[in-house]
Amino acid sequence: MSLEGKLALVTGAGRGIGRAIALKLASQGADIVVNFFRRRETAEQTAKDIQALGVKAEVIRANVGDPAKIDEMFDIIGNKFGRLDILINNAASGVGRPVMDIDVKAWEWTMDINARACLLCAQRAAKLMEGRGGKIVSLSSLGSFLVWPAYAIVGVSKAALEALTRYLAIELAPRGICVNAVAASFVDTEALKFYFNEALNKDNMPVTPAGRIVTTEDVANVVAFLCNEEAFMIRGQTIIVDGGFSVYSPLFSLRKKD
Amino acid sequence: MTVEEQVREIVAKITHVDKSIITRQSTFKEIKADSLDVVQALVAVEETFGIEIPDEDAQKFQNFGDFVSYVESRVAQVEKV
Repeated sequence: MSLEGKLALVTGAGRGIGRAIALKLASQGADIVVNFFRRRETAEQTAKDIQALGVKAEVIRANVGDPAKIDEMFDIIGNKFGRLDILINNAASGVGRPVMDIDVKAWEWTMDINARACLLCAQRAAKLMEGRGGKIVSLSSLGSFLVWPAYAIVGVSKAALEALTRYLAIELAPRGICVNAVAASFVDTEALKFYFNEALNKDNMPVTPAGRIVTTEDVANVVAFLCNEEAFMIRGQTIIVDGGFSVYSPLFSLRKKD
Repeated sequence: MTVEEQVREIVAKITHVDKSIITRQSTFKEIKADSLDVVQALVAVEETFGIEIPDEDAQKFQNFGDFVSYVESRVAQVEKV
């Protein structure tokens, strides 16, 4: 698979899944715009690692929760490159609270970054993809339909992201733009430590039927596939990358031995 | 307005507390600022003063005074440049 000559914007590309996606797309030949918000040094490191693969990297700071900052970021991309081939909506944030503790501020903060930003970035990206087609992949989570502790707002924001993915896929299809989402289960990243206490570690992470936890590279591989022409007929889907976690029934552990 | 007064206004607006109760010794807990309030205050201060405050630095702030001193030193650096 090759993405040679393509330009990809990966939001939240400094760390975790975003970084793995940026490096995977770069390894297939794409130049990468590395967006970050809170940690410049990790974004600079991602950019260095991308350049070491022989492609270009451009670092742009923007809080995707702020529409004006999204506009500024796309203005920079438009002025500098005049085009975009791939948009990866990866940046995410969240406030880990049970439903009774959710307030308007926490709701808006999470929805603005996880859901609204996907719409606003897709709108601006589609204009830069005019006449050339493109790929948009957004990162969801199994929490969009499974209930996890203190995950309500993020789960709702991811459900919105998945619905938006279907609408974008249909409405942008005439422009030659393929839109999909990828939902992972527990992935071993810093973000996981944000939601679960320190007792959660590599040794007691919920094991998948596949026998290990999902890595950032597992997710990046599927995202990269969706960015290639081989995936042209996949539209509006949320591809689950969870080692079988979401379809596995705990009843298996109660089964009578033969 | 001094840097301290500007930062106090930003924090008071985000946490909905009267700015007169925010002293340099006030902890974020005393100002009733949760982690989201702190992030929003950091973002607002960054935009107001045109600086970046890395999370690693922000995590060291014990109270409002630490936050103000940090912003003051960063603003001074920007003015020198």
